[in-house]
Amino acid sequence: MLGFAGRRLLYLVPVLIAVTLLTFLIAALLPGDLAIALLADEATPEKVAALRHEMGFDEPLAWQYLHWLGSALAGDFGRSFRTGEMVLSAILQRLPVTLELMLFAQLIALAIGVPLGILCAVRNGGAFDRLMTAIAFGKLSLPAYMLAIVLIYVFSVRLKLLPATGYVPLNEDIVGNLRSFVLPAVTLGFGEWPVLMRVLRSDMIATLQEDYIAMARAKGLRPWRILLVHALKPSSLTLVTVTGIGIGRLIGGAVLVETIFALPGIGRLLIGAINARDFAIMQGVVLFVATGFVLVNFVVDVLYGVLDPRIRHGRS
Amino acid sequence: MWRTAAAVLGLVLLAAPAAAQKQGGTATLGLELDIPGFDPLKVGVYDTAARSAAALMFDTLTRLDEEGAPQPKLAQSWTSSEDFKVWTFKLQSGVKFSDGTPFNAQAVKFNYDRMRDPNNHCSCAFYLSNIAQIEAPDELTVIFRLRDPSVNMPALVAASVVTTAYHSPAAVERLGADYNRNPVGTGAFVLKSWVAGDRLVLERNPNYWRPEYPRLDKVILRPLPDAQARFASLEASETDIIWDDNFDNIEKAEKDKSLVVYEYTGSGAAVAAFNTKVAPFDDRRVRQALVMAIDRKKMSQAISNGRLRPAQDPYGAGSWVKCQDVGALPYDPAKAKELLEDYGKPVSFKMVVTATPRGRMGGQIFQQFWKQIGVEMQLDQVDQTTVVTKAFKHDFELTPWRIIDSADPAAQMYANFHTGSPVNLAQYSNPELDQLLEHARATADKTTRIKDYCEIARIINHEAVWFWTFQNTYYAIAKPKLKGVAKLYSDVIDISESWLE
Repeated sequence: MLGFAGRRLLYLVPVLIAVTLLTFLIAALLPGDLAIALLADEATPEKVAALRHEMGFDEPLAWQYLHWLGSALAGDFGRSFRTGEMVLSAILQRLPVTLELMLFAQLIALAIGVPLGILCAVRNGGAFDRLMTAIAFGKLSLPAYMLAIVLIYVFSVRLKLLPATGYVPLNEDIVGNLRSFVLPAVTLGFGEWPVLMRVLRSDMIATLQEDYIAMARAKGLRPWRILLVHALKPSSLTLVTVTGIGIGRLIGGAVLVETIFALPGIGRLLIGAINARDFAIMQGVVLFVATGFVLVNFVVDVLYGVLDPRIRHGRS
Repeated sequence: MWRTAAAVLGLVLLAAPAAAQKQGGTATLGLELDIPGFDPLKVGVYDTAARSAAALMFDTLTRLDEEGAPQPKLAQSWTSSEDFKVWTFKLQSGVKFSDGTPFNAQAVKFNYDRMRDPNNHCSCAFYLSNIAQIEAPDELTVIFRLRDPSVNMPALVAASVVTTAYHSPAAVERLGADYNRNPVGTGAFVLKSWVAGDRLVLERNPNYWRPEYPRLDKVILRPLPDAQARFASLEASETDIIWDDNFDNIEKAEKDKSLVVYEYTGSGAAVAAFNTKVAPFDDRRVRQALVMAIDRKKMSQAISNGRLRPAQDPYGAGSWVKCQDVGALPYDPAKAKELLEDYGKPVSFKMVVTATPRGRMGGQIFQQFWKQIGVEMQLDQVDQTTVVTKAFKHDFELTPWRIIDSADPAAQMYANFHTGSPVNLAQYSNPELDQLLEHARATADKTTRIKDYCEIARIINHEAVWFWTFQNTYYAIAKPKLKGVAKLYSDVIDISESWLE
């Protein structure tokens, strides 16, 4: 088990190097750099050249990357050129917001997707199953921002039940904090449940055709016990994978949702940094997100082992 | 709408002394952008959000009254030399920064010298290029020595922008890189806390030098990037006033009795410049034809339900330059076609637009207008910073630009149209125009200046080196209980003197 975990963690190294290197290259290819953004109306070619030199942007790209990598390894992610914030503290300040948003969104997606997936599998091909399939596809094609605006209109403007925008820190007011996350998390989570429902449904249909389920039925076990205890666990391998990969999609969604609901999270930090060519922040956020993504999927791999002992013991 | 509101406010102020206004309370201001900070060296320019924040935390030397005339603020009085190249400002005594250090002539000089220092690479230096030297002969006297005359300097320093915010030299030196997010000014409010991306909390400055202000205890500034959500936050009473430029929201708010719309059409305009050094725009007939094919009314209808006001000159309704006839080319596609036939060659080119929904939309509308007279235009979509770079390198055929709201047209007109100016985007040169520009900026008499500027507009309209599309109009939407919102000069929502009823 430890060897397994160690091996997976080693994968992290090349992945992170590849990701940060790619960001570096993409940023270098963007038209207009930080020097131009900073100088704005003063951006005469001579001044741009002088500032680029001062910031080290005229060094070879490889050297710039190695320089950044070296500092990052020493725990120094630099300062934002634009705001003067330390990159690490800027990220740490905003990370809890995005983490909480993604956690609630994923919980909402699971709370809707899992029961519906089970029900559809049981009534495979029935009216309910077909209805849910239709709804799921409909939902998949509904853009998140539209749902967000509808939710804001109904729950904030009309009913005045929940805040339309903004964020209350957890340590200030727990209820206020939860209230500020309801609409964003529902918006984000609503895009996810159809996927979860669909994969659980198909895995579950397959499991329910296994001999041991027929055996359990023959033994006279209660139907809900068969479903939740005997069928759910082996059917959730794909579900767990999709949930893990979904983190990547959620981060993408968080950019949009944080913008609409004005949540001070990582997504908005990233957008602002890209618009301002704030390279230090951009690179820092990408590194964090990539690490988070790899770690979550590492946990997913470990969970496989828990769910299916054959993986843990290296047999199939 | 604004005029009525202003008239009512004026009556209230005349009828009752300031003490009658209610004290206390919190007002929340919803802005579009996330403020990166306040140190000019870091941020270069203040965007609309930072300017509204600066109006609360900093004071300007002067302020503009309802008529746009400069009135004393940090400066008590001012005089100029005869050639308008030396301006002397006498400062208000006893003013302190909120860290307790004195605001004086040395502090003003410190701020300008720091922004102008070439080693500091501040993009703000661009706006100060006219300053040759600043002197502080005593505590309360600041002397600006200018390279070029500035007739209206006292009105120009009234705008709340990056170059008119005076930072505490002590705080700047003590905090270094951290100063950007811990600004210290002389203003009515001081920064209490700042959660990046979420809110700036400002509290009343207990030692503020104008004892009747501020009336509010607290102001919260929130960046709300999404226009729909920002408007919803106002409807849901999470904010008391918001910045807005979404015409659907503005129309909706006007119909809503529980909301007030503040509207101000300033000077300047949204404009575009032809590069007259490249074909086909080296030929006046082509430029005139393109301008005559633009139906601004229809365009305004498409973009803003007819709200945007067509511009015929670069001055606009908010400017004191009013002309009888500026010789604007009429919308006349038939005449445009004739001009092109006269020119004889097929016309096709690329126009630079910002890669935003609004930029694209504007570009596509031009595309349609010009297609009707047989001109092929392609969009060159780039981001905002690239528009500026391309424009300065003259790497364009037709580029969008802007003439910003300002108390005096001299600086921008001279920079945009005088031969050899680095910002003369069209690279157009005309001795008659040069002479008028030089005369207008060094003359005190308003009537003469208006005559000059109208003639200047006539020449540019006739030569069609630039064209103007719409005037600069700014909006804020508020709850009626928030009173005392200043006129939206330069797109700044200034609630430093506001109160709640």
